[in-house]
Amino acid sequence: MAIEVDDLSVHIGRKAILSGVTLSVKPGAVTAIVGPNGSGKTTFLKAVSGDLPFDGEVRINGEALKGMKPWQAAAHRAVLPQASSLSFPYTVREVVKLGLLGGRSGANPTEQAQLPERALERVDLKGFAGRFYQELSGGEQQRVQLARVLCQVWQPVLDGQPRYLLLDEPVSSLDIKHQLIIMDIAARFASAGGGVLAVLHDLNLTARFADQVAMIHRGKLVAAGAPAEVFNDALVSDVFECRIQVGVPPSGDLPYVLPQSAQL
Amino acid sequence: MALRDDVAPVPRWRWRVDADGDRSARARAVILFLVLIYAVLFLFSLGSGASDTSFWAVLSGWLGGGSEALSLRDRVVIGDIRLPRVVLGSLIGASLAVSGAVMQGLFRNPLADPGIVGVGSGAGLGAITVIVLGNTVLAPVIGIFGIYALPLAAFGGGLVSTLLLYRVATRRGQTSIATMLLAGIALGALAGALSGMLVYVADDQELRDLTFWGLGSLAGATWAKIWAAGPIILAALAAAPFLARGLDAMVLGEATANHLGVRVQRVKNSAILAVAAATGASVAVAGGIGFVGIVVPHLLRLTIGPEHRYLLPASALLGASLLLVADAISRIVVAPAELPIGIVTATLGAPFFLWILLRQRGLLDL
Repeated sequence: MAIEVDDLSVHIGRKAILSGVTLSVKPGAVTAIVGPNGSGKTTFLKAVSGDLPFDGEVRINGEALKGMKPWQAAAHRAVLPQASSLSFPYTVREVVKLGLLGGRSGANPTEQAQLPERALERVDLKGFAGRFYQELSGGEQQRVQLARVLCQVWQPVLDGQPRYLLLDEPVSSLDIKHQLIIMDIAARFASAGGGVLAVLHDLNLTARFADQVAMIHRGKLVAAGAPAEVFNDALVSDVFECRIQVGVPPSGDLPYVLPQSAQL
Repeated sequence: MALRDDVAPVPRWRWRVDADGDRSARARAVILFLVLIYAVLFLFSLGSGASDTSFWAVLSGWLGGGSEALSLRDRVVIGDIRLPRVVLGSLIGASLAVSGAVMQGLFRNPLADPGIVGVGSGAGLGAITVIVLGNTVLAPVIGIFGIYALPLAAFGGGLVSTLLLYRVATRRGQTSIATMLLAGIALGALAGALSGMLVYVADDQELRDLTFWGLGSLAGATWAKIWAAGPIILAALAAAPFLARGLDAMVLGEATANHLGVRVQRVKNSAILAVAAATGASVAVAGGIGFVGIVVPHLLRLTIGPEHRYLLPASALLGASLLLVADAISRIVVAPAELPIGIVTATLGAPFFLWILLRQRGLLDL
């Protein structure tokens, strides 16, 4: 049981955006994808979400993604896109409720009705249900979308099958407190038996929350493993093309990443 | 020039929303209210007109069993003149409003309308072809289809323009909203030019027919027209509830709809077919009746919110009611003559459309 990505390649026109990526996204763990801008992180997430045609194989809990109908895939995983806009005046509750559209939240019927409120509470938006989505700030909108995504796979394990959260830069427009709240939700989802695949920019947040880091550079997977294994001065500096120092504080085993200079 | 489909400010006036953000109870109440309104308008329309036949007289005549109370003339006025007109008006109003709501959901744009994507122009070209060439070049074909020639031609025109549009705007199974809107403008212009050529070669009688058809009118409502257009419209309306869930998911974009488990391409295909059928059939029997498809869904979104499972039935009811009101106005203003109903809806609808545009100018970045 896992999302297994096997020799995944994506071409747009003749250009190879991703080539030969093999990775296993395990339940019970947070897997972070890191890499510089344009390295192919988001393309990877989109391919695994089923948004892009790709070569190679993606299997979710042993089932090939290519043969899956949308509602089957929707029962396995929920996807948080980078940005979502709305052209009609939906209330926050109505947006969150869209996550229940597929009917596979896993909550029992009595719980189901309160799910939007409970999901909003989790993302620290209690009392926002009656507000209009378009009137919220970018960060608040992002958290509303996360609440919607949580509703879709409310139970991290359903019918004995782990489910997955695919998050594209879930904390990009949030302040530190809410970055921590969101990453904590991801970590709790994983510890309850679900799997999380998240594109992240902040290497320190990655070191703090990821169980597995996949580093992508120019469309290729250059390293995968625990943050302490993957993060070292030479590799990180090389991939991000600037001088970065990786340290380990005496108090713990989590590495921290300190940018030094744009020159190598 | 850039087309943005993402920005639409929240309207400043709207019904207050409760803290829980749940508008479904209100939506159900509004739908019930619209059913009552429609029922009243239906009875009122049956009982009013140029003849002095009162609906109540007829009703009491029927109920009382005294068939002498009901003159033959009254039976004809109610059964063959007013009833078909009310039924056709209701069908067309519902079909225009629902087509508008479906198109707007599909394009994620509150200003989209079958008229905008060229479906109306294509249907119009089909109808004009039959009117102008029906007595000469196409006479043998018209002989075969009889009274069904006009609705079939308009439906065909609407469908062909929709399919052409689709060929242009769809790549690898994905339809780009911006390309489709732009292609719709081009196809609309082409259909307009071809229609113009036909108008140019038309003789005096054909021009007169064209003018009245083009203004939009319910005056010629007959049971035959209802049998020709009604089944197509009803089929399209019956399909709409099945689209509601998919259209709701589409408001967050096609990718997100797919993530939520919706078969996006199927929803788009069905929505486009339903819109082409409903618009084509309406245009054929009543000509161009504009703005119902924009005004009705917009007003409803302000009161019950944009969720399609409520928006679509409410649009059908309000669209039908609005058309009955417009029809009543068209018969009253210049009685005993009557105005084509398209003039009434345009006079009421166009300023409303401009008002929406004024408030949402950020929508189009030119």
